[in-house]
Amino acid sequence: MKQRWLVGLLALLLALMMAACSSGGNAGNGDAGDKGGDSSKKTTLRFALWDSNQAKGLQVMANEFMEDNPDMNIQIEVTGWMDYWTMLEAGATGGSLPDVFWMHSNEIYRYASNGMLLDLTDRINKSSKVDLSKFPQGIVEIYNHEGKQYAVPKDFDTIGLWYNKKLFDEANLSYPDENWTWDDLYNAAKVLTKDGVYGFLAAFHNQEGYYNFVYQNGGTIITKDKKSGYDDPKTIEALEFYVKFIRDGLSPQIYGDAERAEALQNGLVAMGLFGSWNLSGFTANEFISENFDVAVLPKNTHRASIYNGLGYAIAHNTKYPDEAWRFVEYLGSKEGQERQAELGVAISAYEGTAEKWISSNDKFNVKVFVDMVDYGVIRPYSKTTAVWEDKAYEALRPAFTGEISVEEAARNAARIMNESLATE
Amino acid sequence: MSYKPMVSRILIHVFLISGACTMILPFVWMVLTSFKTVAESTSMNPFVWLPSEWKWEHYINVWRQNNFLILYVNTFAMMAIRVILGVLFSAMAAYAFARLRFPGRSFFFGLVLFQMMVPTQIFIIPQYLMVDALNMRNTIFALVFPGLVSAFGTFLLRQFFLVLPKELEEAAKLDGCNIGQTFLLVMLPLTRSGLVALGIFTALFAFKELMWPLIVNTSADAATLSSALAKIQSAYSVHYPELMTAAVLAIWPMMLVYFLFQRQFIEGISTSGGKL
Amino acid sequence: MAKLSNKVSKNTWNEWIWAWFLIAPTTIGLIVLNIIPIFQTAYLSFFKSGDFGRNHIFVGLDNYARMFQDPQVWQAVVNTLVYTLLVVPVSIAFAMLIAVLLNRPIRGRSLYRTIYFIPMIAAPAAVTMVWRWLYNSNYGLINYLLSLLGIPPVNWTTDPKIAIVSIAIIGIWSFVGYNMVLLLAGLQEIPRDFYEASEIDGAGKVKQFFTVTLPLVTPTLFFVMVTTIIQSMQVFDVIYMMIDITNPAYEKTVSLVYLFYNNSFKYSDKGYGSAIVMLLLAIIMIITVIQIKVQKKWVNYS
Repeated sequence: MKQRWLVGLLALLLALMMAACSSGGNAGNGDAGDKGGDSSKKTTLRFALWDSNQAKGLQVMANEFMEDNPDMNIQIEVTGWMDYWTMLEAGATGGSLPDVFWMHSNEIYRYASNGMLLDLTDRINKSSKVDLSKFPQGIVEIYNHEGKQYAVPKDFDTIGLWYNKKLFDEANLSYPDENWTWDDLYNAAKVLTKDGVYGFLAAFHNQEGYYNFVYQNGGTIITKDKKSGYDDPKTIEALEFYVKFIRDGLSPQIYGDAERAEALQNGLVAMGLFGSWNLSGFTANEFISENFDVAVLPKNTHRASIYNGLGYAIAHNTKYPDEAWRFVEYLGSKEGQERQAELGVAISAYEGTAEKWISSNDKFNVKVFVDMVDYGVIRPYSKTTAVWEDKAYEALRPAFTGEISVEEAARNAARIMNESLATE
Repeated sequence: MSYKPMVSRILIHVFLISGACTMILPFVWMVLTSFKTVAESTSMNPFVWLPSEWKWEHYINVWRQNNFLILYVNTFAMMAIRVILGVLFSAMAAYAFARLRFPGRSFFFGLVLFQMMVPTQIFIIPQYLMVDALNMRNTIFALVFPGLVSAFGTFLLRQFFLVLPKELEEAAKLDGCNIGQTFLLVMLPLTRSGLVALGIFTALFAFKELMWPLIVNTSADAATLSSALAKIQSAYSVHYPELMTAAVLAIWPMMLVYFLFQRQFIEGISTSGGKL
Repeated sequence: MAKLSNKVSKNTWNEWIWAWFLIAPTTIGLIVLNIIPIFQTAYLSFFKSGDFGRNHIFVGLDNYARMFQDPQVWQAVVNTLVYTLLVVPVSIAFAMLIAVLLNRPIRGRSLYRTIYFIPMIAAPAAVTMVWRWLYNSNYGLINYLLSLLGIPPVNWTTDPKIAIVSIAIIGIWSFVGYNMVLLLAGLQEIPRDFYEASEIDGAGKVKQFFTVTLPLVTPTLFFVMVTTIIQSMQVFDVIYMMIDITNPAYEKTVSLVYLFYNNSFKYSDKGYGSAIVMLLLAIIMIITVIQIKVQKKWVNYS
């Protein structure tokens, strides 16, 4: 009886192993292969990204591209943000990067300086479809390393002021508009803080938080000669204004990423800063879509909204540089950018195409996101961004919890950040 | 006097039930949430247990958007291979470490323990590079690769083998068995409960491994359930009902398998009761 | 007698061959898959790592020097040890109790067994979500229940003083079912005769536990202790998902593996991260070796 068990088990095992070694889903072994059963010579390109929301729209675009280019097959691979970079790094180390993939300001330096990306400069110059002057220069510059262009800009995102219309109505306040100043923000927050609701969410977050205020006050996070701007008096002033909301009881103390959006949904806060990428999530949430709208950020001595943009990069060792370029060229062309905007995938970076994006969402006043790019400030970055952003958080945290003064925390942040910058 | 056993039985059940409640609470919420609206799922003020309407659409949506059939197939294939091979290899080594004497025994067992002491994250990239070099990315082989051998399993089964009486081997020898036969036919069956426990754990760890399949099998078709769940997370970052739906769809096969194998467990009691 | 000279006897040789054959798959697999990467990590700890496996700069013991002077590392050591000290005894005690109870023919036994094992089966993402909600300071279930008793809300995951305990509770919660399954398997190996004999001697259930059950389950108990300690020392996932670097409780909860992850994968400082791994490895090795040496005193292999 026992023998039969064993034999059965071994047979099953054998069958599975045979299946394992021969199968391989659609991709087969390696990166370039025919799409199951296709006898025509199609080039398959691996296209990697990290946002499954955008993937839906991009799949539509990929399908359209494949129709126009029947010799090509685009295979989209979605990986979550954290794992995306581990995946990419493993690929880079082993020599098997995806053919086309998203690039971000945090990582561009590492990949470009190590020669992991294909130099696109010549191709761009020769191309009639991709015109770098049509993109916000800040974004173009991110993906330019030592004079060579390594990625084509894809989109941009800005930070907006989200506010609860119902609460404003109840308090008889007029909605935030482009004339709002810091004082308006503060006063409104004061009026709205009551009955367990806080007027404003001064969350412990940089891009969707105090960075904006820093630049609105004329301060900076990183200077042109790569020194920390945290000890700039204007920066400290802005930080103090920001933390004041917490100190004066107008803002809850929120530190975690997930808790910030929850604060909006749960009706805990009446206003908060959130980036345009939250749009699909907010639209899907009944509470937010019914009660909230978005406005431009208030101004102080300056207007500012932190903006950033992704780029499309090609692997330096892709087997199909020409094909990959054809695809990227399409994505970065006016046509591709318009399509991206139409489908509501992201705010296309190509001049004028963002208008199409605005009409893709009728729930909120999303026009404001596009308006703000005129005075947008590129999200501060350098070679070791990941390091000093974390270190700065660690240094500033005690200021938010009230253990030390904002000034002291800011000086600490500056010191640690400079240490990191010095190693670059 | 006759009340005493009754009272103690009731107390035991009270204890077990309250423990069970704490264990199961998160899952009850999880399953219920898969039927709620987004607002209901995040509303804690007031806090919502039962959905006002049973929305089945999440299941339809999530099922359609993620090719769960292929996910199930890949995950189970990965699990089956790992369980069979893993348990077999561990049992072989465990037997040798426990009952045989040979040079290098302490050293190699030390290696086994050594492997357990290191955080698994350091294995990811080197193992990825190995699979890449063999050109086996995006295959089931890649998913199975790291789980073929188990230090944990070897250590566990060694403990079980150590407990068995020495006379058994001598008796087997007298019957004309060589060491291999002794192992396979005599000793192995006696560690049945250990084998089943190990089988359950191997299946479990294989199922839950997120990172590995994510990097190595990047096409959605070759992905596994847990990693597909991880990808879904970043998309539906605020959409709890769909997230919970995906989670339920991801774990129910595992629960079924566990429940089935767990029966085997009980039989283990009745047989070992009559042992020796 | 003539055979017992310098040469190895045929029997012994036979045993050796079989032994090597039996351990071969596991040992080879371990060496290739795991031991080699461990040595690669140790090697890397002496370098300032470059990107993508290139341009490593040899720095000797610099990473170690920096590590020993880094207060964050030492705090992480404390955090990890505190976590382990909380999780191990409590989860094992509960697991043992429940395993014993479920080893008897009581009603609903298989249902209980399934339910207690459930935490292990859940996808970590789901577990995190539910616990985050349970611990939520404004709207979480626990604070809600406390409020019914008139107790003010507690900041479970943002208060540096108690966050590590909150995390440990999640650890205990997840380990109980797992240890229970293992201990149950060990309990089932105990032949009925012992219990019968002890009953004949007039021992009650509790006495039976201490005189029969406990001594005979020590091999499995030993295993459970060693593995739970090792796994607790390596805690990462739950802390990583619940406590961001922006969290005020971060300093007092960050574990060694979390620190390693940040340095190796986030900051691309693999050399430093590897040094941290070596430190963790050393601590775990010391603890494990002590346990092995002491096992003779309390573990019974019949």
